[in-house]
Amino acid sequence: MTTMPVRRRRWRNTAVGWSFLLPNFAGFVILTLVPVGLLFYYAFTEWDVFGGATWTGLDNFRQMARDTSFWTALTNTFYYSVFHIPLTLGVSLALALLLNKKLRGVAFFRTVAFFPYITSIVAIAQIWNMLLSPGFGPVNEVLRWIGVDNPPGWTTSADWSMPAVILVGTWRDMGYYMLLFLAGLQTIPAQLHEAALVDGANPWQRFLAVTLPGLRPTTFFVTVLITINSFKVFDVILVMTDGGPGQSTLVLSQYIFQKGFEENQFGYASAVSIVLFAICFLVTIIQFVVNKRRSE
Amino acid sequence: MKRSLAALTALLLAVSGCSGDPDDSEESGPITLTLAGWSLATTPEFKTLADGFKTSHPDITVELKEYDAANYDTQMIADLAAGKAPDVYVQKNLKNFYTYQNGKQLVDVSDVAGKLGPKVGGLSFYQVEGKTYAIPYRQDSWVLYYNKALFDKAGVKHPDGSWTWAEYAAAAKQLTTGLKAKGDKALGAYQHTWQSTSQGFALAQTAGASLESGNFAYLKPYYETALDLQTAGAQVSLGDATTNSLTYQAQFGKQQAAMMTMGTWYIATLLNQQAKGDADTFEWGIAPAPQQTKATTGTSATPVTWADPTGLGINPKISERKIAAAKEFLAYAASADAAKSLAGIGVTPADNSSVADTIFSLKGAPSDDLSKFTFATHDTKPENPVSKYTAPLQNILKDLHTEILSGATPIDAAITKAQDRAKNEVLSK
Amino acid sequence: MTTLLAVKEDPVKIDVPVRRPSRAWRVLGYLALGVASVGVLLPFYWMVMSSLKTNNEVFTVPVQWIATDPVWSNYAEIWRKSDMTTWLGNTVFLAAVVTFLQVLTGSFAAYGFAKIRFPGRDVLFLAYIGTLAVPWASYMVPQFVMMTKLQLTDTLWSIVALQAFGALGVFMMKQFYETIPDELLDAARIDGMNEYGIYRRIMLPLSVPALASLALITLVTTWNDYLGPLLYLRSPDLWTIQIGLKSFIGQYNAEYALIMTGSVLSVLPVVVIFLAGQRYFVEGVATTGLKG
Repeated sequence: MTTMPVRRRRWRNTAVGWSFLLPNFAGFVILTLVPVGLLFYYAFTEWDVFGGATWTGLDNFRQMARDTSFWTALTNTFYYSVFHIPLTLGVSLALALLLNKKLRGVAFFRTVAFFPYITSIVAIAQIWNMLLSPGFGPVNEVLRWIGVDNPPGWTTSADWSMPAVILVGTWRDMGYYMLLFLAGLQTIPAQLHEAALVDGANPWQRFLAVTLPGLRPTTFFVTVLITINSFKVFDVILVMTDGGPGQSTLVLSQYIFQKGFEENQFGYASAVSIVLFAICFLVTIIQFVVNKRRSE
Repeated sequence: MKRSLAALTALLLAVSGCSGDPDDSEESGPITLTLAGWSLATTPEFKTLADGFKTSHPDITVELKEYDAANYDTQMIADLAAGKAPDVYVQKNLKNFYTYQNGKQLVDVSDVAGKLGPKVGGLSFYQVEGKTYAIPYRQDSWVLYYNKALFDKAGVKHPDGSWTWAEYAAAAKQLTTGLKAKGDKALGAYQHTWQSTSQGFALAQTAGASLESGNFAYLKPYYETALDLQTAGAQVSLGDATTNSLTYQAQFGKQQAAMMTMGTWYIATLLNQQAKGDADTFEWGIAPAPQQTKATTGTSATPVTWADPTGLGINPKISERKIAAAKEFLAYAASADAAKSLAGIGVTPADNSSVADTIFSLKGAPSDDLSKFTFATHDTKPENPVSKYTAPLQNILKDLHTEILSGATPIDAAITKAQDRAKNEVLSK
Repeated sequence: MTTLLAVKEDPVKIDVPVRRPSRAWRVLGYLALGVASVGVLLPFYWMVMSSLKTNNEVFTVPVQWIATDPVWSNYAEIWRKSDMTTWLGNTVFLAAVVTFLQVLTGSFAAYGFAKIRFPGRDVLFLAYIGTLAVPWASYMVPQFVMMTKLQLTDTLWSIVALQAFGALGVFMMKQFYETIPDELLDAARIDGMNEYGIYRRIMLPLSVPALASLALITLVTTWNDYLGPLLYLRSPDLWTIQIGLKSFIGQYNAEYALIMTGSVLSVLPVVVIFLAGQRYFVEGVATTGLKG
């Protein structure tokens, strides 16, 4: 193997590498990459989805610059993401650390933490809306009982609807990311923890010196995923508030659906998707670079 | 890599650009038409139309294709784009009609429309530049449902068709206090969460009101009434209705509210639910919807109300022969014969001139004269006048609706905001 | 940090007693977990309770937390009124096939991305992640048109095609494989094992926790997917549990108790699978390989 000329080895590596990718890649290209690629064409057209798209150059993007609803949706998307990303990251990591122990009943708690993710979104919306109902909801009953005279209107108030949605979003997603963190925690060799114990490190020091570095690939993966999914948030908002009251919880994904399927401006919707894509991609690349630098 | 991707993209564009070939294979013999419908098990109107048509046209079979009720348009848009849509498809509401018409997904059926009598309601709503693109078979209209027992209990006089909105609001408050005094928790009125419960009436009843004008001042009095009733506790607030997922069927059917404006489709639902025990058994009636001015009240006038028609359109990608057959089906669906069959299952047909007796002979239906008058007499305006601006404007007005009724923004400010948005985002294009 | 790395290179067996948290901490931990579980389970509890009520008791003001007179017949009735068996059958089929393909092709491709160097690899990988960043609504229709050309719409295979080749599995497994040291692979290569052998004999056994997590996540996603089946599966005999349930709600929109019964039934299988499988993604096989 060591005697193989460099060029031949490179060629061989390419062939072997592709042979690994191919089964997944074939399906991926045809069913995802090509339709997504088309989007980059449609973003520069006026398209009614049924047939001919007319090339309009940068018109869609110019329109976007003037479109106040687009900016509202963009701001709201950032509002949601800025809070939802660190919150979910923190909670799910904490849960994973807590539940990565051999304790009695831990299997039960792990399952419980995953429950919100598997419960149907319709039921979740129903129940959270009821819990947060301004007049009769248990949450506000409790708040009044502990002496809050004027409890928030939650999903029915323009100021509190976004916090309510963020809360429910985090509540729902935490089990999912906890699972990913749990898998990541298993990759950290137990010897490292043992060695740190021998060195006399306290739990916090062990967390910083062993757990965090060992989790880095997982953390990167989870962070990218949470980021992308936060910027793309759709279903929680749709069932909880439908973007309201007013436009207080209107987010980009919903705006894209509205423009496309309700108002039949698929070209414009594609252009907004490209912007959303660009934002996600940019943030991902920054995370990619930071991750690379840290791992060196 | 880049080049091959570009080539693939180009190829795909070419492929997706061309449409499927119509199947002209057979020149004669029996024809099978496909018709899109939703919730077929509980929405019998499609089968009623298909069966009725078969009796007069034995060689044409209409086959039903099921769609999801809530996502009908999403599914249909995808099917039309992929060239696999059914031959005849329902225009579930007027808001999306423009999408299909402007996207050239509807055959011009002006010749069918020309042969129909003047009694077919809602026909003109499907006209674009003088041509008709769908034929209505069903035209509901919004009326006032009231619970006679609760009115009597509260000691409030039944509606007599002379109400304006001021009288409606006064009655709602009286009912609420009257019922409370009798220990009944029911409220005077229920206004469902849809934006149209305020805006549909405002648009229909205000002289000169139009969506496209971008001037929404006409909405103000209607929101004042709604807000007034909310603050007075005479109707459930929008926030409580949405967060508790209240349904209008339960609010009226389980006697939580003494009256409610709703479309005529609810007649069949209510009868059905009362028969099955899902709704309480009580005496009820319908009255004309409250009017803006006295001029259109009373049984000698024609009350102004609103509702979008439900119509049938033809997929242009089918063969000439099938189009001809489909046109016959459309003509049948709007005919007096079909109207009778539809009325028999509680549906309000587009031609409702002679079906009141059929509807009111259904078991459990009210029998008073006002109910019959209400069902037969009205000037019904569309909720969504057909225009390319309608869908985006309605989305802006939906935001206005939740903004005002949640109390987030005062009426005037919300209207100004909606007008600004309409100007900048929609009408300036 | 340096001491830790030293340990790794010099695997001296150190005897450290298994760490057990102190008693006070444990009580506190259980208490916190208990409170948290209540918060998390409340909606589910409400769902179960509602499934045992009559329709009119479901939405009440104020909330009724206990079904005073449980209506167990709801569970029999939903079976009678709906086509639950067909829906469950289709969903189980889809979940099984999609999960199998996603885990298999995903981990296979991930090995290529993580452990074999070849030109264009990083660009390809970015393309994979990139597609995650595009909302489905915006490319739903072009994708639908493609699937129609491939004659896949209105068959269960459309959902398999839609879900099985997603970027998520590749991304997740690649991150996982990167934690496995290259030295281990090089040692195997020197022993004459080819790349496929390494994947099968070393990587797969080492990645059981990650594979299990991926399998579970794929399974749940497929199980709960609504929009995909809605668009692609039109014939009622192809419906999945989510579509069936939604259409059931559409038809019997006043039968809240039955709707909740259906929701409980749709969640139950996933809960069982989770309970049964959850030890696989925590009980570490991970450390064993690294000792060698």
